[in-house]
Amino acid sequence: MAIQRPEPVLLHNIPLRFVRDRVSGHGRKSVDHQIPLIPFIDFLIVLVIFLLMSFSASGELVAQQPTITMPKAKNTQQIEVSPIVAVDERVITLDGARVADTQTQGQSAQVDRIEPLIQGLEAEKRKWETIHPSEPFAGQVIVQADRNIDFRVVKKVMFSAASAGYGNVSFAVNQAE
Amino acid sequence: MAAIDAGGGDSGKKSVNQEIPLIPFIDLLLCCVMFLLATAVWNQLAAMNANQQVPGQASTEDAPPEDEKVKLILQVRNSGYVLGSSAGESIDIKKRAVADQKEFDVEELATKLGQWKQAWDDRDDMIVAPEDGVRYEDVIRAMDVASAAGFTNLSMADGAAFL
Repeated sequence: MAIQRPEPVLLHNIPLRFVRDRVSGHGRKSVDHQIPLIPFIDFLIVLVIFLLMSFSASGELVAQQPTITMPKAKNTQQIEVSPIVAVDERVITLDGARVADTQTQGQSAQVDRIEPLIQGLEAEKRKWETIHPSEPFAGQVIVQADRNIDFRVVKKVMFSAASAGYGNVSFAVNQAE
Repeated sequence: MAAIDAGGGDSGKKSVNQEIPLIPFIDLLLCCVMFLLATAVWNQLAAMNANQQVPGQASTEDAPPEDEKVKLILQVRNSGYVLGSSAGESIDIKKRAVADQKEFDVEELATKLGQWKQAWDDRDDMIVAPEDGVRYEDVIRAMDVASAAGFTNLSMADGAAFL
């Protein structure tokens, strides 16, 4: 097929002469404007690619809490859905519910059981076993602690989690570059 | 609007001019942008996994006991790192002074762990034993260095048990 020089196709089909003159700009400045759609589409495609790069199919399992600054690490794994024990400078929480005071736990040198935490985790375990009767229990808990916390407190949390049947601990960290 | 104009179409033939529907395409892209913005995860959170069952310790399951293996232990003390094994080895990595403060010597630990990995190339398990009073961040950093050296199967134990 021959390639022909493009012509203003729209103007052929307009029978009104004054409109044709006005649009084609005979003698005057044309009022015909084109919206630059192609750069706009380019911009949108770049935006979509950028957002796709930061897309996570698993979603945000652990929310960043304002009172907790997590440590950074490079050699990490993906977080899986598990009960979350958060430890900040004031309180220890299980899925948002307060179970103990951090200060109190940090003072005692003995490795004590945190009873409300154990009860909460055991309830979570029973719930999980009811929902998944045929699957083996993974016993995984996410510990989201502030980077300046004394490890003694984290140790008590881990000991209590192990007492409730949660022997595997995932320490939530920020992914380092 | 974008169009493909091949000319002709006036002499009774079917016109071959085509219009590319850009507006629906822009709508699709805008929908994609909105969906991706709503589901975007800006925090790059990840996890460092560890278990609380020390290698060689009796399992709670009815599994046969594994052969007695040499335990590789990384202690995180207030004075620094101590790399040790149940065979009697012990390497002390003291804290170094950095601007009036003492910090853990992470580079030295990485070097020593690299040497250990060469000596124990069939092993990927290690016990991390932090002492009371050590900051949580320092323990995570030690675990990160151990993972980088190839000891990916980490167990947590009480540091006081190895003193």
